[in-house]
Amino acid sequence: MSEKFNLSRRGALHVFGGGGLLAAVAACAGPGSGGGGDEPPDTGGGDGEIGGEISFAHWRAEDQEVLAEIIESFSAENDGATVRQDISPSNDYQSSALQQIRSGNIGDLFVAFRGAQFVDMVSAGLYADLSGTDVVGKYNPSLIEAGAQDGTQYGLPYQLVFNQPVSNLDVLEEAGISEPPPDWDGWLSMCEDILSIDKIPMAWPGGEIGNAGHLFNCMMMNNAPSDDMCAKIESGEYKCTDDWFLHTLDQYVELRPYFQNNATGTAVEPAQQMFSSGDAALLLTGSFHIAAVRALGAEFPVGMMAPITVSADEAKYVGIHNATFVLGVNSASDNQATAMALLEYLSETEHASTYANGTAQHLTVAEVNYENEDLAATADWLDKDTMLAPRFQFNDLDIRNAAEQSCIDVVGGTSPEQAAERAQQIIDERVNA
Amino acid sequence: MSTPASATTATGAGTGGRPERPRRRRRGPSSRVHPLLYAFTLPALIIYVIFFVIPTLQAVQYSATDWDGFSADYENVGIGNFDRLLTGDTLFLNALTNNLKFMVVVVVFQTILALILAIFLVRNTRGSTLLRGLFFFPTILSSVSVAYIFKFIYDPNFGLGNRVLEAVGLDALTSSYLGNDEAAIYWVAITQVWFHAGQMMVIFIAGLQAVPRELYEAAEIDGAGRWKQFTAITWPMLAPATAIVVAYTTIQSFKAFDLILGLGGNPPKTSLDILSTRIYSTFANSEFGYAATQSIIFMLFIAAIVVVQRRMLKLTQKEA
Repeated sequence: MSEKFNLSRRGALHVFGGGGLLAAVAACAGPGSGGGGDEPPDTGGGDGEIGGEISFAHWRAEDQEVLAEIIESFSAENDGATVRQDISPSNDYQSSALQQIRSGNIGDLFVAFRGAQFVDMVSAGLYADLSGTDVVGKYNPSLIEAGAQDGTQYGLPYQLVFNQPVSNLDVLEEAGISEPPPDWDGWLSMCEDILSIDKIPMAWPGGEIGNAGHLFNCMMMNNAPSDDMCAKIESGEYKCTDDWFLHTLDQYVELRPYFQNNATGTAVEPAQQMFSSGDAALLLTGSFHIAAVRALGAEFPVGMMAPITVSADEAKYVGIHNATFVLGVNSASDNQATAMALLEYLSETEHASTYANGTAQHLTVAEVNYENEDLAATADWLDKDTMLAPRFQFNDLDIRNAAEQSCIDVVGGTSPEQAAERAQQIIDERVNA
Repeated sequence: MSTPASATTATGAGTGGRPERPRRRRRGPSSRVHPLLYAFTLPALIIYVIFFVIPTLQAVQYSATDWDGFSADYENVGIGNFDRLLTGDTLFLNALTNNLKFMVVVVVFQTILALILAIFLVRNTRGSTLLRGLFFFPTILSSVSVAYIFKFIYDPNFGLGNRVLEAVGLDALTSSYLGNDEAAIYWVAITQVWFHAGQMMVIFIAGLQAVPRELYEAAEIDGAGRWKQFTAITWPMLAPATAIVVAYTTIQSFKAFDLILGLGGNPPKTSLDILSTRIYSTFANSEFGYAATQSIIFMLFIAAIVVVQRRMLKLTQKEA
């Protein structure tokens, strides 16, 4: 090559500098310009042919086998259709599923938590519109409202869980307890009775804010001045320093002697272990952990109960339920037809029953046959006055964590006033941001 | 042998003895590089631009917006995010405080432990090689595995820590470990030290083996004891290795993200929240613009700390 094509170091720097400048300009494209956000939602009709591989994104690793069984029969009935389960731990799913599904890598069929995640996923245009499709008719209408927004049915909450303490009926019988306590004094008295037979009254995973928060639902349900208390905390209308919230924190203080030792350092697995081994009478999480404690070897009969924090005549609710695992078809999926077909398949009574009995979960699908002993034993809760879990009214996760952390703090020894002020400071900062 | 004086004379010969600034050597054809050679740097440059330069520039741009991470539209908020972060974000301040506590413990104890191990294992004997392998072993484990191992140790009810203490009659020392808000971050720091001390030990061993034996022999002849040899020879000669260890450990301690999430859950409690987990929580809370602001402050903070550390290290090793 002749010398005139040679390039000095300075020349090369100019070339690279120019390239870098171009890259910088390219980098300044507006955020969100990747599209998707404001596109009109697709309808979930899925008119194409059923076949090919789709991804089912969810967080229930414990349901993987049962779902695999259902998927296998789905694939057998729909020749050429295969389904890959993309499973993340629930907290990771809460944090990053929206971005992953939006990227198109996973989630032709996907789920969302009720509350903030569902709202964000609808805003991001991820859900295809299911309104008017046949599949919606397979569900109990009053239980799928959490999957609708502004009159459009975007998702179908599949699971009906009870976010309230699960009880070991053998231990309760040994302690002479046959009925759930009707009021707060009764609850404390029950805990004393359990202590008297050398058992731990309550196994509480206070080391994990996500699982510790299930108790928050029960403690708030009858104490709060209105049913939308968490939404009002988030809007600034209610404060953690209000009397009703402080009263709830005082009640957490009263519960201190009845948790296992070092409760604020306990993760959910050891709490499940205490309960499944029969050392603890109550597991303070919810019905969604019954299958896990059975897997750990628990053979005793289980029930459910919730702390009534007021007198019996003031109690409005006796427990907490949540309609979650909001199934939806990805509006951007290349294979919507297959995703829709799987959604319909999961919603058929036969397959929904397989899922329910295999995972020990109640479902929102109508006419499910509950053959699982634990589901049958707790089926009476479907007709009780339970409140839709209030903690999912929080759309700001930092505000939710601040409010729930205050409860953990008081169990750890902080005074209710100090814990409430600390939480309210964080909430105020975010409300005013 | 030429001296500086003779060199000056030589260069000033043609200007009546007046010292002349050495002429800049003209770049001849030999200094030109064939353009094709620059092309070999292109793959690396392209990767660097795509995966580092562009995301960094985008982060700067996002930091001036209230983008939620998925909407097509957003508002420009100017320096509003920086103002909020520096004047009214208790959670960020808490994470920063936790991170500084974590960093101090990890940098001090990991460096000292790695240096001690390196001094004892510097000789290439079979025993040393075996022990080096054992101490290095935790480094090859995934951080999630390490988190689960220590989650088992720290569990206050079934964990190895309290069980061992109870077995030897030290019940009074049992703890709730990560459940104790005051101490939780230090327990994670201990995990981090266990995790990475072996890795840093290898760097120190390389540094120690590069120190010429003659220096120690000369020091011995001069009557220097072991401590004097360490302070006058080993420590100053280890300056480059120490700088690498301290800088790397500092950066690691700011990025102990997976260890914290593995031990403390997602999101971690406020007592375990550090800057990287706070940024992640902010992203998860659909505040991409604000999280980008936090990321920029995070980056500047690490850079500032590393610069200060390097200067301090130079000073101590000059004094030595």
